[in-house]
Amino acid sequence: MNTEGLRNKSSAEEENNININIMVNGQSYSLAVHPAYRLVDILRNDLGLTGTKISCEIGRCGACSVVMDGNLVNACLVMAYQVDNQVIETIEQVAIETIHPIQQAFLEEGALQCGYCTPGMVIALKSLLDKNNHPTEEEVLDYLSGNLCRCTGYNGILRAVQRYKNESLSIHKFKL
Amino acid sequence: MRLVRENFPSKWKVRPDGLAKVTGTLKYLTDLIFPNMLYGKVLRSSYPHAKILSISTGNAEKLEGVKAVVTHNDVPGMNRFGLIFPDQPVLCDDVARYVGDAIAAVAAESEEIAELAIKLIEVEYEPLEVIDDPEKALLQSAVKLHPGGNILHRAGYKSSEEVMNVIKECPYVVEETYETPRQMHAYMETEGGVVVPDKNGGITVYAATQHGFKDRMQLARILGMPESDIRVISSPIGGSFGGKDELNIQPYAALLALKTGRPIKLHNKRSESVRAGIKRHPMKMKMITGADEQGKLVGHYVKIIADTGAYATLGPAVLDFAVEHSTGPYLIPHVDIEGISVFTNNGVSGEYRGFGGNQVTFALESQIDRLAEMMRMDPLMLREINIRNAEDLGPLGQRIVANDGAKNVLSMIKSSTILTAPLKRQDNWCLRGRGAAITMHGGGLGFGRPDPSGARLALTKEGEIEIAFGFEEFGQGLLASIEIMMTDMLGCAKEDIKIVIGDTDLVPASGSSTASRSTNMIWQGINKLKEPWRDKILDAASSVTGVQKRKLFIGERGVWEKGVKNKMIITYKELAKSFSHNLPVCSTQYHFPTTPDAVIGGHYLHTYAAVAAEVEIDQLTGRIKVTKLDHSVAAGPVVNPLGYLGQIEGGAIMGLGFTLFEDSIMEHARYHTENFDSYLLPTIKDIPLSTNVDVDESLFESDIFGPRGVGEIGTVAVAPAITAAIHNACGIWVSKLPVSPEELLNALELTPFLFDQQEVVE
Repeated sequence: MNTEGLRNKSSAEEENNININIMVNGQSYSLAVHPAYRLVDILRNDLGLTGTKISCEIGRCGACSVVMDGNLVNACLVMAYQVDNQVIETIEQVAIETIHPIQQAFLEEGALQCGYCTPGMVIALKSLLDKNNHPTEEEVLDYLSGNLCRCTGYNGILRAVQRYKNESLSIHKFKL
Repeated sequence: MRLVRENFPSKWKVRPDGLAKVTGTLKYLTDLIFPNMLYGKVLRSSYPHAKILSISTGNAEKLEGVKAVVTHNDVPGMNRFGLIFPDQPVLCDDVARYVGDAIAAVAAESEEIAELAIKLIEVEYEPLEVIDDPEKALLQSAVKLHPGGNILHRAGYKSSEEVMNVIKECPYVVEETYETPRQMHAYMETEGGVVVPDKNGGITVYAATQHGFKDRMQLARILGMPESDIRVISSPIGGSFGGKDELNIQPYAALLALKTGRPIKLHNKRSESVRAGIKRHPMKMKMITGADEQGKLVGHYVKIIADTGAYATLGPAVLDFAVEHSTGPYLIPHVDIEGISVFTNNGVSGEYRGFGGNQVTFALESQIDRLAEMMRMDPLMLREINIRNAEDLGPLGQRIVANDGAKNVLSMIKSSTILTAPLKRQDNWCLRGRGAAITMHGGGLGFGRPDPSGARLALTKEGEIEIAFGFEEFGQGLLASIEIMMTDMLGCAKEDIKIVIGDTDLVPASGSSTASRSTNMIWQGINKLKEPWRDKILDAASSVTGVQKRKLFIGERGVWEKGVKNKMIITYKELAKSFSHNLPVCSTQYHFPTTPDAVIGGHYLHTYAAVAAEVEIDQLTGRIKVTKLDHSVAAGPVVNPLGYLGQIEGGAIMGLGFTLFEDSIMEHARYHTENFDSYLLPTIKDIPLSTNVDVDESLFESDIFGPRGVGEIGTVAVAPAITAAIHNACGIWVSKLPVSPEELLNALELTPFLFDQQEVVE
């Protein structure tokens, strides 16, 4: 799929653009972008995927967390040329027909307030839970240590993870 | 009662904005993109204090893709802003007074071009002497930063002329000077948004603020245009904590939008947010407190110096609040408090969750703990001896709403397991300790300050019950609270309700979403509208259905008829359709409750909190880990338990950051900490995993004021609880925040600490 791009581009910029192919949330795009663009710019400005947030832009807050080829990355630290031929999953992909159980747990336990860190938190947790459905508390703390939240103080987030674990355990038990 | 789901089953609600937040579909104002949009950037001063000799924008204007450059010459109205005293230049003309001062702004086709253009603007400065310390600013020889000098504001309260004399007579006297840091709000979403010009010369401002109408007023003044030509849309917001109440990017985006006739997006980078944004006032507080043989506090002498930075914003009110809260919830017969808020060339200080209360509560509660140690008395016992009674006057001698909150939170925290369970005091390299602190906190703006609010309830033609307030949602959970109060007080279903906030074209003026006032103002608004609304709806339902009004009541989905079995007789939708015009609307205007005594700034409604903390100190590194934190809060009935819990827990971790990590370090009035690599926020690994919140919901029968807001109270007493626990662990008193691990380590080496043998358990 080709995209017109949402960004207004000047002709001066277009001269130096590089071409990249990228698969985002199951859809492939061919884009001509400025070589100094970062993945976060492509997602937010060119593809209109604003669920990925920008906050510190130096890889310290995790608001722009996305999954690239199965690994959690800060989209502010990934350059445009590095995403050529890569598969990216953003928050917009987490809930397709129904919301993910971790999103449901966030709602039930009040794991969010302003919500600006929430997409990054959710994608980070989902990426952990995809690998390990029953992480220990220590693993959760390690995994989320790169995602800052200024509103909740994190206790609600930990309760949401606990709820997720309890519920997936009970589903598991039910199946048995 | 413990604030957990089991105790509040019917009110434990998923927040209405939650789904859009967890799925990333919610558009924040900084996410918006408009056709033909340009990007704005602001040039900030290269010097913390300098004369501006010339500004040359020619090269920037010539750059391809640049559409406009504005300087002070382009400000059509008043080139100043500020919530109370407009003393900050929108764009500097003659002098820059801090590194966040704006000199020029650029609109370009991309952010990158705008950034490059900023570098092409040539400014000739003549650097001036820099005042980077409020005490230097007070010297006779100091250069004057403003025409009126370097003192922004003085505040004081004196209940007796004899204070120092009575303190001298006291057997127990503690004298100490405390210092608190320049804490940053550190909202995850930096300031930003889009200003869109319209065909008729007006603008729509999509940008975060805590008070849309105040932004509109300030922008009208700056742009020289009527308020009616400006629409401010201000929700949703990615965090604020007081930091977005003052104007930030709005004037620049507006000037550029008007000059280019195109939408302008301006979204601060974090470093610019740090540089230009307001912070918590660093305060230096000297306290001398005396008690008699029985432990009764007799005299309390306080001197506060607040570094307000280059401009006023809410500096005077913050100082007033600090002075008022310097005696906390204690009865002290002889009090002498003096505060001074001083201009410097440092970053601008302003409104921040807790509003001056956090600083003085740290100092005051530390004094109480030091006195208790001197008297060899249990620190909670000392508090009990001196705590206010429900009917006592407020700290400035003003009448306040009677409430037992102070006593109740103190007695609740006494039973926290942090304080009662056996504690293993030493474990390899780790020392453990525990401590507690309490506070009382005023809500609303205070006596003599306009603090009005308004609410509107209407039946839309689609049959929705529309409730409108001029408040903003920045995460605090306002929408959920409105929904819960509406269903509670009007008996309707949440599906019946349409909530309108954060848009000056659509809402009544309700004042600022600040000072823990919104919850109370919402409750009062709905409470006032309830009866007229019921009347109007039932009159209409009665005339449409022919059923007598007295047999009707409003409920879920529509109007019901009372009977052995209640039955619905008309839905709100049907009722709305029955009107050809003039659908029912009820509006009300009211004021935040104030004390009848003319004490300027004095507060009337209060919340109360107590905090207990347990800490571990690593003897090898001096690092402190808060392992447990419990809270008791008295703030009237709990409206929205999940939101309440989030505010207390989240506020506590902000308080933990204030105590242990956070400081916007400035040297020679320039920031060293420009982002989250050097400004350290608490992470998920820094928090106590064990935390409990207990609430006291009681109000006296005569108390007609309803639930109080809890946006601030969770942050206020955290620091002194943690520092009391540090002292309990190692015998060292902390007087400067954030606690320095290095200094603690040095102190640990110098003062080998012997535990009080009686206290060692396990």
